[in-house]
Amino acid sequence: MEMKHIKLEKIDDYRWRIPRTGAMRVPGLIFSNLELIQAVREDQSLIQVANVATLPGIVGHSLAMPDIHWGYGFPIGGVAAFDLEDGIVSPGGVGYDINCGCRLMTTRLRADEIRPSMRNIVSALFQNIPSGVGATGPIRLSKGDQAKVAVRGAAWAVQQGFGCAEDLERTEDQGVMEGADPSVLSARAIQRGKNQLGTLGSGNHFVEVQVVDEIYDLEKAHAYDLFEGQVTILIHSGSRGFGHQVCDDFLKEMSRHVLQESLVLPDRQLACAHIKSDLGRRYFAAMACAANYAWANRQILMHWTQETLQQLLSIRPGELGMKLLYDVCHNIAKKEQHMLDGNRVTLCVHRKGATRALPPGHPLLPGIYRDVGQPVLIPGDMGTHSYVLSGAEGAMSQSFGSSCHGAGRVLSRSKALKMAKGRAIHRELEDKGILVQSRGKRTLKEEMPEAYKDVSRVIDVVHKAGLAHKVARLTPLGVIKG
Amino acid sequence: MDSDTLDFSILNHTADLGILVRGSDLKELFRVAALSMLRVMVQAKPAEDTKRVKLSVTGDDLPDLMVRWLGEILYLLEGERVLVIRAEIDFISHSQLDATLATVPFDSNRHKIRCEIKAVTYHQIEVIQKSDHWEATIIFDL
Repeated sequence: MEMKHIKLEKIDDYRWRIPRTGAMRVPGLIFSNLELIQAVREDQSLIQVANVATLPGIVGHSLAMPDIHWGYGFPIGGVAAFDLEDGIVSPGGVGYDINCGCRLMTTRLRADEIRPSMRNIVSALFQNIPSGVGATGPIRLSKGDQAKVAVRGAAWAVQQGFGCAEDLERTEDQGVMEGADPSVLSARAIQRGKNQLGTLGSGNHFVEVQVVDEIYDLEKAHAYDLFEGQVTILIHSGSRGFGHQVCDDFLKEMSRHVLQESLVLPDRQLACAHIKSDLGRRYFAAMACAANYAWANRQILMHWTQETLQQLLSIRPGELGMKLLYDVCHNIAKKEQHMLDGNRVTLCVHRKGATRALPPGHPLLPGIYRDVGQPVLIPGDMGTHSYVLSGAEGAMSQSFGSSCHGAGRVLSRSKALKMAKGRAIHRELEDKGILVQSRGKRTLKEEMPEAYKDVSRVIDVVHKAGLAHKVARLTPLGVIKG
Repeated sequence: MDSDTLDFSILNHTADLGILVRGSDLKELFRVAALSMLRVMVQAKPAEDTKRVKLSVTGDDLPDLMVRWLGEILYLLEGERVLVIRAEIDFISHSQLDATLATVPFDSNRHKIRCEIKAVTYHQIEVIQKSDHWEATIIFDL
């Protein structure tokens, strides 16, 4: 399908529809506004929304969040739910970095207290947190330990002394996906996972020290322990080479499976298998291993961040007061209960660059957040802001309990490099009061603020469409990138 | 690797990156595709002691064979820390490829990473015969 064949209808100021045509089984629904949708029309992401709508067993709509951009197979920012009986699971609908996600930690510190030490803080974090291409950390996993990480997730890390048990209830699904089975993993996946636990990675992964600079909802901010002027830390990382290998292994196997089953797909990257098939079950079991690895990874990264700050600032744990606010994943497929045509059903929800956003009262929420809703963490680019939102009822009725996951790229990496030519991005950021340290200048250029959509516009759509409500805005003080 | 003239161009993709590769025949196309991918990734110095490695890959058709072939080269680097410096395709059909690779251990002091490619995708993958040459389009996950 070509872009000129995509018909896009405006429903209201924040919703756009792609009517069902051709092989589409359901219509497309894009949460966006007039300004954001212009950029979306320029790449191929709307074609991808329509392509996903052709997959067997899809229900409701093929959805896209306001940070949608061109991915491979699924668009980034895509959400699609499938019937368990005749629906499929697609590794491309989860992504290579399985359970790539964010965790936000609050502290007792105020930004004014640490501003004079920021240069040292960024340096120390950069030194203590392994990052960069193919980085390995100090942890070496035996095959047995790797299997334990794969099955137990964040709880394994807590048991090893990284963080505390309280962190688990503040993690989506308590930091563990059920059904993980290490026996389905390839030797390559195990090989790539053994030395990468406790590493940040490269590209858009980061650890960011921030200040809460605006509160939109005092009551919810209070429930989340957020206050104006407070120092917070946001970590963005995933399952590293391990998750990539799992995705790669199953994409290849499913690509073959699709040919054998004579399934017609508009894009080979949408290779999939029925959820109930042996292949579908094995993918789920392997994906759960990678998801659990990612939760353990972020748990460890958080612990090292805490240690680094305590040492550098010479303060005790109580003075730092670092607490996990929440950990969310944004590349995942999960079996969840949703209302569909008036009936409660279990569906397989793919979130490819989208965040779960449970409203107040949802039974899956821990007691501490039951009355206010799930914290939804949305990182922006490193030069502007990140946001904390709370899940809202509109997400359950419109998007299978999902919200956006970031600002969304607007420039390709090569265009960003061209635009950044001759500029010192780190200096520009420093002029704005943001200290950045990265392995390579290229990463900084590729990830420069102009490469992304204006996150505040993305958040505005999410808020006004009723998917999640704004709670607080965070501004970066210092960033380390791979 | 860097001294070889390779017929490829970079394709822009919002989140990722692709290459358009040309070759006079299928063997050349697959050879150029592998070395082009590595050139995008790594800046390597020539004239090194290399180790010969034999590699065989099977696929369901040419696009699948391309994804699997490049995936193997990528795994050598990511999983085994082995960098392919040269490649010769000894045999190729629509479902199999046999190659002889000249490799060196990856050394971050000698080999500068330009861009991390994390995976070879099937998205819009194409291997097509033109009137007098072959072309392939490949999009990578970064």
